[in-house]
Amino acid sequence: MSQKEQMLNDIGTLDFVLVELTLYLDTHPFDRNAMEYFNHYSRIKNQMEKEFSQKFFPLTKNLAESNKEWRWGMAPLPWEGVCN
Amino acid sequence: MWCYEKRLQFPVKIKEPNAKLAQVIISQFGGPDGELAASMRYLSQRYSMPYREVAGLLTDIGTEELAHLEMVGSIVHQLTRNLSMEEIKESGFDKYYVDHTVGVWPQAAGGIPFNACEFQVKGDIITDLVEDMAAEQKARTTYDNILRLIKDPDVCEPIKFLRQREIVHFQRFGEALRIAQDKLNAKNFYAFNPGFDMCESCEDC
Amino acid sequence: MQNYSFDEHFDKYPIAMAYVPWQHFEKMYDDLDKAYKNGTIFPELNKPFTGRRCV
Repeated sequence: MSQKEQMLNDIGTLDFVLVELTLYLDTHPFDRNAMEYFNHYSRIKNQMEKEFSQKFFPLTKNLAESNKEWRWGMAPLPWEGVCN
Repeated sequence: MWCYEKRLQFPVKIKEPNAKLAQVIISQFGGPDGELAASMRYLSQRYSMPYREVAGLLTDIGTEELAHLEMVGSIVHQLTRNLSMEEIKESGFDKYYVDHTVGVWPQAAGGIPFNACEFQVKGDIITDLVEDMAAEQKARTTYDNILRLIKDPDVCEPIKFLRQREIVHFQRFGEALRIAQDKLNAKNFYAFNPGFDMCESCEDC
Repeated sequence: MQNYSFDEHFDKYPIAMAYVPWQHFEKMYDDLDKAYKNGTIFPELNKPFTGRRCV
């Protein structure tokens, strides 16, 4: 796996943990344990996303600062997958 | 409102096209128990929910279902890439291809186009949550049926992921229903509709 | 046929209603990659499909 793929996979994994904790916290809004996990992984994921967006391509519009070319528009689309 | 992250919630990297499988999996795109129906159901129901926790949950699950819709669309797209005319004819995909080429159009495997009759917004919290629990089970069963037809691990992995999400969502909707029950009178949960009968002014709701 | 006569806590759970047991967060998977692949971070919610016919 290339560094780009590995980083994207890690971001996907972390974001997934956040989604799971979000749904859990939606019905358990006072669970301190879950909130601590959420805060912890949220920080890591945000940092990783920022690094990825600077190094490879922006994952969100908020991280799409561009100079020479519109990086957001030039980014690959998620459904492109792999070539045969 | 919505933000978009330019990546799939779970990777879809299919190397081998398969038009026959695409025709079946398209049901989870535009079919009655598919991801578009799920997201529209939850994102529409949330407006008439009387309790913030439940409206919040519907928003979050509805948003996740949009990400799943994107995954299923990606699966169908990758399964129909680089098809030869022979493959199109032999697989029976020709009936879809004539109207859509290899575009991804929301319909059920049987051909019924996506439509709002495939979900309900009853405006009653108990009814809507029970509908949502049923919807998650129907989606789970559809994924069970799809898994029996798949041999390619590239397709198996994202489908197994999507199936497991339905089970987690079922648990969350079940918990939302318990929350609703807690706020109502256990002697008679059906005495009134808390989203309608309670509202005389803005503050009541 | 079986004689189903479940003893319920009718005072807490009246009839004519559906109840899903409440999840209590004990632990999540240590291996986050495994959790991601499985589709849940909670081991107690992991319910894989094993029923494949002779396809």
